[in-house]
Amino acid sequence: MNRLFLAGLAAVAASAAALAEPAEVNMPVLVPLTGPVALEGTSQQNGALLALRNAPAGVKAHYLVMDVDGSPEQAVNGLERVLSRGPVSAVTASIFGPQMLAMLPIALERKVPLITISGTTDITERGNPYVFRFFPTDAVAKVAHARYAVEILGKGRPALIYQTTAYGQSGATQLRANLQRLGVELVFEEALDPTVKDMLPVLAKARDAKPDVLLLHLHQAPTALVIRQAAAMRLGLPIVAGSAAHSPATAALLDPAELAGVCTETNAAPAAGGSPALERFLAQYREAFGSEPDGYALGQYDGVMMVLDAAQHGAGNAAEIAAALSRSTYQGLAQTYRSDGKGNMAHGAIIMCYDGTGRVPRIVKSYENVTGVLAR
Amino acid sequence: MMALQLFANALALGAAYALVAFGFVLVLNATTAVNFAQGDLVVAGGFAAVALAASLKLPGIALLPLVMLLMAVLGLGLSLAAYFPLKSRSPVPVFLSTIAAGVMLQNAINIGFGPEPRTGPPLIASGAFELMGVVIGRQALAVILVAVLLYAGLHLLLRHTRIGRRIRATAEDREMAAALGIRVDAMVALAFALAAASAGAAGLLLANSFFVTPTDGGNYMIKAYIAAAIGGWGRIGGAAIGAVLIAMFEVLFPALPTLLPMGWLTGFGWLFSQTASAIILYAVLLGILAVKPRGLFGERAEQRA
Repeated sequence: MNRLFLAGLAAVAASAAALAEPAEVNMPVLVPLTGPVALEGTSQQNGALLALRNAPAGVKAHYLVMDVDGSPEQAVNGLERVLSRGPVSAVTASIFGPQMLAMLPIALERKVPLITISGTTDITERGNPYVFRFFPTDAVAKVAHARYAVEILGKGRPALIYQTTAYGQSGATQLRANLQRLGVELVFEEALDPTVKDMLPVLAKARDAKPDVLLLHLHQAPTALVIRQAAAMRLGLPIVAGSAAHSPATAALLDPAELAGVCTETNAAPAAGGSPALERFLAQYREAFGSEPDGYALGQYDGVMMVLDAAQHGAGNAAEIAAALSRSTYQGLAQTYRSDGKGNMAHGAIIMCYDGTGRVPRIVKSYENVTGVLAR
Repeated sequence: MMALQLFANALALGAAYALVAFGFVLVLNATTAVNFAQGDLVVAGGFAAVALAASLKLPGIALLPLVMLLMAVLGLGLSLAAYFPLKSRSPVPVFLSTIAAGVMLQNAINIGFGPEPRTGPPLIASGAFELMGVVIGRQALAVILVAVLLYAGLHLLLRHTRIGRRIRATAEDREMAAALGIRVDAMVALAFALAAASAGAAGLLLANSFFVTPTDGGNYMIKAYIAAAIGGWGRIGGAAIGAVLIAMFEVLFPALPTLLPMGWLTGFGWLFSQTASAIILYAVLLGILAVKPRGLFGERAEQRA
């Protein structure tokens, strides 16, 4: 009897100790901190680090940061290295599409969730259940982009300038399709290599096509160059740009007057604040990194937070975390996330506009649940 | 009217490219090795201007001598780290060491300044001239003027001073120069310093109008390389002309449908896209090299690259 009592007491003590033990999450951060997407990768890193440092009660987060530069080989090597060190709960994986595509087979083989904000459409089209994207794809963002230009601004003769990269091509394809659905055709379009410095030739040709709105889908520095040179040549057209234009780093390159009349699609506007939770994020981000957060940082923050939330609710290993991410709905700071069955977690976009007096744009239109996934 | 604006832009861009190409050929002449860090030196100059403008609050024109001095010191360091330890080897290890130095420089800038694009200080107060509907930025005109003055100054230094003659003698024939008592190593180090100073000047001139990011160097390096190939590997003046030609082509060719509003051109709009322009530029380069392997104004091509 005594022996039974002691055994029971030991079992209770063991379970109490187990309950007191925090859930351990090992989540390496594999992002490009150098190379062509270093700027976006740094935002991604900052968002992930802030989330890992803010792990909810009962969760202990372990992480290391690895710079995977800009090549798929570096990303693959980095992933192999972190997976060889022991069990991994999930990985913060590169924003750069080619790197994500290279990492996918390894994640599938090793059954490790990759948490990313990469916009490349294809990464969630390969039937891989271990990829989760916390940023609207172009299929979502360009709905907002096209609808705002046509339905809200009332424009019917758009001109489009986009990048020759995979990012640019993907956005242009979606914009064309969405404009067509709205009964509008592009009057001018041209793709630019990211190294093009003088935008006057393309702007002059666009102007000759007599558009009534200029659509941009460019990386950050080219976006700023087009906006600056359009202002200098007094183009006089409203501009609706891709998400690069919402970034504080882009706005910092321009005078507020040059930004007058410029609108941008994105997932969220952390620098504009708006809720107590977002204000807290903003204050923490500024203190930790000495800069303003953008939508990339916030998207990655939400993604990592959803992993930590899953761990807090009992997901103890990579397979359980992947299952939780596939099935759960999570209210993040930027938006509500739920998988569409392919790993696309974000389903809304917003439009923000600069008024010419400052470098912080304000939200003018929200396009929520564009895919309908959240209503299911 | 648009033509004048485009021409001014092209000339400003070409003037800055010319300074990059100038330094590139200077090192090539002095060492017979290609300095693949030249593009990253442009970026370093741009970021030096950003940093100095933030602390000194001076316009670019006032910062220019300081940036060039800093970059000259960096150029000397580059020669000590990447050239002299390998000078007795074939040019290939030097190519590799300058590539390595460029990558180190790029990443050091990334660590120091962060990856975001920065805007450099304006050369002079911003503004534009407007004449009969044509708006030409004061920056573009100032960039052209400063680049021409710098080029003239460097030309005078090389052609009409004792030190310049010694640098050129070293470039022509190092053994003979050494036999004549010229301190060849000092002249090579000076060539690196001058090359870095002119690249830094180009960085300052470009950073305001076109911004600067740590990864821009590769693009400038390619432009300098093409300029040298077009202008003739051994000729500083030829490289400068090659650089201006590249910039003219980059800016003016894609704008031809605007400049020449002829009906038949509209059917060939695709030909004048920026992407097609790049293809045509490289095709022209290949054509030039096939017909004139020493470049349009060149000599001694087979010794180089």
